[in-house]
Amino acid sequence: MAQLELEEVTKVFDTSAETIVAVEELSLDIDDGEFIVVVGPSGCGKSTTLRMIAGLETVTDGEIRLAGERINEKSPKDRDIAMVFQSYALYPHKTVRQNMAYGLHLSTDLDSEEIDHRVREAAEMMGIEDLLDKKPSSLSGGQQQRVATGRAIVREPSLFLFDEPLSNLDAKLRKHMRTELSRIHSEVGITTVYVTHDQEEAMTMADRIVILDQGSLQQVGEPKEVYHEPVNKFVANFIGSPSMNFVDVELERNADGSGRLVGQEFDYSVSNRLLQQIDPSVSDVVFGIRPENARIDPDAPVDGSVETTVDVVEVVGSDNFIYLDLAGKEFRVRTPSEVEPAEGETVRITFDEDDIHLFDSASGEALAHGYPDADVTATVERSDTTADD
Amino acid sequence: MLNDNRRSRVLLYAGITAFALFAIVPYYWVIRTSFLTNIAAISPDTGFIPALSQFTLESYTQIWDRFAFVTFFRNSIIVSVTATIISLFFAIPGAYAFARLDFPGRKVLFYTAVFTIMFPWIVLTIPVYEVFYFLNLVNTLPGVIIALSIFVLPQNIWLLQGFFRQGIPENIEEAALIDGHNELTAFLRIVLPLRLPAVAAAAVCAFLPAWNNFLWVLALTPDEAVGTATVPIYYTLGSDVLREWNVLMASLVLLVAPPVIFYGLSRRYVGEGLGGTPK
Repeated sequence: MAQLELEEVTKVFDTSAETIVAVEELSLDIDDGEFIVVVGPSGCGKSTTLRMIAGLETVTDGEIRLAGERINEKSPKDRDIAMVFQSYALYPHKTVRQNMAYGLHLSTDLDSEEIDHRVREAAEMMGIEDLLDKKPSSLSGGQQQRVATGRAIVREPSLFLFDEPLSNLDAKLRKHMRTELSRIHSEVGITTVYVTHDQEEAMTMADRIVILDQGSLQQVGEPKEVYHEPVNKFVANFIGSPSMNFVDVELERNADGSGRLVGQEFDYSVSNRLLQQIDPSVSDVVFGIRPENARIDPDAPVDGSVETTVDVVEVVGSDNFIYLDLAGKEFRVRTPSEVEPAEGETVRITFDEDDIHLFDSASGEALAHGYPDADVTATVERSDTTADD
Repeated sequence: MLNDNRRSRVLLYAGITAFALFAIVPYYWVIRTSFLTNIAAISPDTGFIPALSQFTLESYTQIWDRFAFVTFFRNSIIVSVTATIISLFFAIPGAYAFARLDFPGRKVLFYTAVFTIMFPWIVLTIPVYEVFYFLNLVNTLPGVIIALSIFVLPQNIWLLQGFFRQGIPENIEEAALIDGHNELTAFLRIVLPLRLPAVAAAAVCAFLPAWNNFLWVLALTPDEAVGTATVPIYYTLGSDVLREWNVLMASLVLLVAPPVIFYGLSRRYVGEGLGGTPK
C-alpha cells in the first residue's frame, strides 16, 4: 500500500509525421488506499497516464513517485504494481493457476507452497476456485476478467492499475463486476487507479474522480462534487447521463441584484444569491441544467419556466426520457414514468434555481452553481493549481 | 436434397482421388525405377507393377560404391541444418521487431527485405561468387552455409512477421513485464513459446530450399568434397549415351527421404503453424 504522486507529468509522442502531446503537466496526489477513477473520452490521455505509472511508457517530463520514491526510471517489474488489462492479457498456454502464480514465481522468493496458498486465497476471493486447472481459452469473458483480477490481487502490490477492465463485458455483467471490484477494494484496501471511459463506472466506484480531456486535467473530486459542481462545461457535459442541457443566454441584471437569463425562446429569473457569484462585467453565459433536474409542470410561473415542443418520448420503464425542441436545439428531460406527453404537444418545463449551472460562454469555465453548498471559486482555484503549478 | 448431397459428395471424392493419383504416381515411378536394373528400368516390357523377380538393390549398392555418398549427405545435413538455425536466429528477432515494434525506417527496411525474395537466384549467382571469392569462402563448407542462410533469411522474416502479427494476445508482453520479465525474457519465455508452431513452419521453409539448392552449391563448390548431395546427383546422370535411370532414381529417393522424415517429425507443429492459432 502506498501513496502515489504525479508531478507535472507530461507525455509527448514524437512520430515523424507529427508531435502529439498525450498528457500535459498532470499533477495528482493519490492517498494510500484510495480508489481513483480516471475518466475521459477516448484520446484524452487516461490510458497513457496509467501506462506511465505502470512503466510501459516513458515519462517525457515530470515525476512519478510511489511511496515517496521516484519511479520514472524503474522497470515495470520493480515498481511493485499489478495491472489488469482491457484484453485481460492472460497467458493462453498456461492454466489459470499458472497464470496467477507466474508473477509470484518470477518476482518473489516465496516457496511453491506459499504461492499455492496465496493463489487459492485469491481464487476464493474472486470465486474461481473451480477454474484453476482450466486454460484461458475455455473460459467466458467474465471468467477471464475474474482471472485477470485474481492475477493482480495475488501479487499483493502497492498499487493496482486497471485499464478499462470491464469494457469487454456485457452490460449486466459489467454492473455486477463493478460492485465486485468495489467490494474487493474495500477488502484489500490497496491504492487503485482505474481508467474508464464510462462515467457511470466512475461515479459508482470512485473515492475521487479525475477527469481528463485532451491530455489536460479538468477536475479532481468526489463523485458528488464533480456532479454538482463541475468546474467547466466539459465536465458538466461528461458526467451524468443523459448529459446536461446547455442553452446560450444573456444575463440581464436588475437593480436589486437579481436578474434574468434571456435566450431564444428562453426567459428565466434568477436571484441575487446566484448572481453574486458572478463578476458584474460578464453578460454572455451558458445556462446548464441536468435532464433529471428539469420537470414538466403546466402550472409553473411564467418567469420561472420555458415553453417547448415535444419531439420524442423514450420510455425506459423506470423513467421517461423526453426530447424537446427548444429554439431548434435538443433539450432533454427525465421524468417519472407517469408523465408522458404526446409528441408534438407544447409543454412548460421548469427547474429549481438550486439545480442550475452557469458557465462562461467563451472559456466554458463554471461561473455559478445553484447547488446550495457550492463554493465555486474554491473548486476552480484548486483545480487550477493542480493543473498548472 | 439427399441425392444432391450424395452426388456432390461422389464428385468431390472422385476429384480428390484424381488429384491424389496425379500427385502420387510420379513418386511411385521414382521408387519403382530405383529398385530395377538399368536395363529393366528402360525396357518397355517392364510393367507398371514389375514382377517381384525384377526387384534388386543394385542401384543403391552402386551409389554406395561409386560416390562419396556419406560425405555428400553429411555435407547436405550440416549445411541445411546450420543454415536453418542461423537464418532462424536472425529472422525471429527481425520478424518480431517488424511485427510488434515501431522504429524509424521500419517500412523501408521491411520492404527491402521482402523485395529480395522476389530476386531470381540466378541473377545473384555471379555477384555472390565474386563476393565469396574475395572473402576466401569459395570451396568451403562455411561458405555454402553462409550463402544459403542469407538466401533463406528474407523469406523467413516475411513468413514469421506475419505469424507474430497475429495470434499473440494484446498486451501479453506488457503483462509479462509487470509479472517480472524484462523485454528479452518476456519475448523468449512468453511470446516465443506461443508461436513455436510458426517457428517450426519457418524452419521447414528454410530447410527445404537449403537442402534442395543446386545452383549456388554448384557455383560455390567446384571441389566436390565440400558440395552437398544435389550436385553429385546431377553427375549420376552420366553421359548422354547411356543414362542410368535406376541409379538416378535411387539417389533421388535418398535425397528426398531426409526432408520427408524431417517434415514428418515436425508435422504436428508445422500444421498448427500454417493452419492458424493453436487453441
